[in-house]
Amino acid sequence: MNAPAHSALELEIAQLVIDTLNLEDLAAADIPPSQPLFGDGLGLDSVDALELALALQKHYDIRIASDDKDARHHFASVASLAAFVASQRAVCAD
Amino acid sequence: MSEAQLATRRHWSAQRERGNLLLMRFTAFVARNCGRRLLSPLLHLIVLYFFLTGRRARHSISEYLERLAAWSGRSDLRPTPRRVFAQFMAFADCLLDRLDVWRGALRLEQVRLLDSDGLRAQLLATRHGGRGQLLVGTHLGNLDVCRALAELGEQVPLNVLVHTHHVAHLNRLLGEAGEQRMRLIQVSELDAALMLDLSQRLERGEWLAMAGDRVPLHDGRRVTVDFLGRPAAFAQGPWLLAGLLGCPVNLMCCLKIDSRYEIRLERFLDTPAWQRGQRDATIAGWAQRYADRLAQWCLLAPQQWFNFYPYWESTDA
Repeated sequence: MNAPAHSALELEIAQLVIDTLNLEDLAAADIPPSQPLFGDGLGLDSVDALELALALQKHYDIRIASDDKDARHHFASVASLAAFVASQRAVCAD
Repeated sequence: MSEAQLATRRHWSAQRERGNLLLMRFTAFVARNCGRRLLSPLLHLIVLYFFLTGRRARHSISEYLERLAAWSGRSDLRPTPRRVFAQFMAFADCLLDRLDVWRGALRLEQVRLLDSDGLRAQLLATRHGGRGQLLVGTHLGNLDVCRALAELGEQVPLNVLVHTHHVAHLNRLLGEAGEQRMRLIQVSELDAALMLDLSQRLERGEWLAMAGDRVPLHDGRRVTVDFLGRPAAFAQGPWLLAGLLGCPVNLMCCLKIDSRYEIRLERFLDTPAWQRGQRDATIAGWAQRYADRLAQWCLLAPQQWFNFYPYWESTDA
């Protein structure tokens, strides 16, 4: 399979997804950055999202505001999560 | 009336929210200004009024006694008008005791602590570092046990998770009553920010408490379990939180036995976790085990079941 190339952050986040949700039969490189995490893609649900959100916030020392209307968009795929984490870390570094 | 409207009307929050707030204000006022002797006849009259006018509440208690008697095989628990009325009176008595708790007149020394798992020691230990834990309470008996627990825990902060929208107001009332260690946090819905907040509180050694025997109205996260021999909806919330936060879960209840309060604390889950794909089944298993424990506690104090609304999945609709 010719998976699209991952950035370092994308690989790291894919691994975090796997570790957090105990997806032992997957490797980070197996999750294409643009594959949807929910529904038809990786098949995560809303409780997985909470688990993942908690892990991301702890791991990267970022905050996901409860009134953030874009949260659904951020959690769409590994690529969008990586973009979100990068932007949040930039904000926190300021 | 549509089914949804009917469900809303039948739900506990529809009838208790306003009453509770008024009652707490009233209780706080009376607690500051007068005593139990003055309030007792008045409160019993109020409860008599609720008994006479509250057809649904009467039916609900009657249904509860019927189930409890059938499940336990104890025909002496079967509902009679006298026993149903006694349930309302037990509630009045409980409210008066809450008033004493608020006034500080009910001292910790008067309460018997049944804590075979040594949870109080763990509570106290978090003053010197370590992670907090989750306490799951019940509307069987006196819920103000939380306040007593805040006292048991001395300086350990206790966060009570509630569904009410009146949190700011109630926190102000708590503050006026001089309560520093107990805080109410509204959890209408679990989200990322709330999870982080709760997780950080646990890391700081704070404890969380919530009721396990009421389902929130607008939260679909519920699970049907067998309670006293019939299917009833229980909240998934406490068990979801436990699994997400990965903290030990303990059960607590405070029953008045032979006119003396007994606080029961017991370990329920050491390290809650689920296998992905087994999550729903795991949570259903925990909820069922909780309902089983609750049923056993009901037999210790049958009259102190204070859920005055239809509890089981409708058989009368």
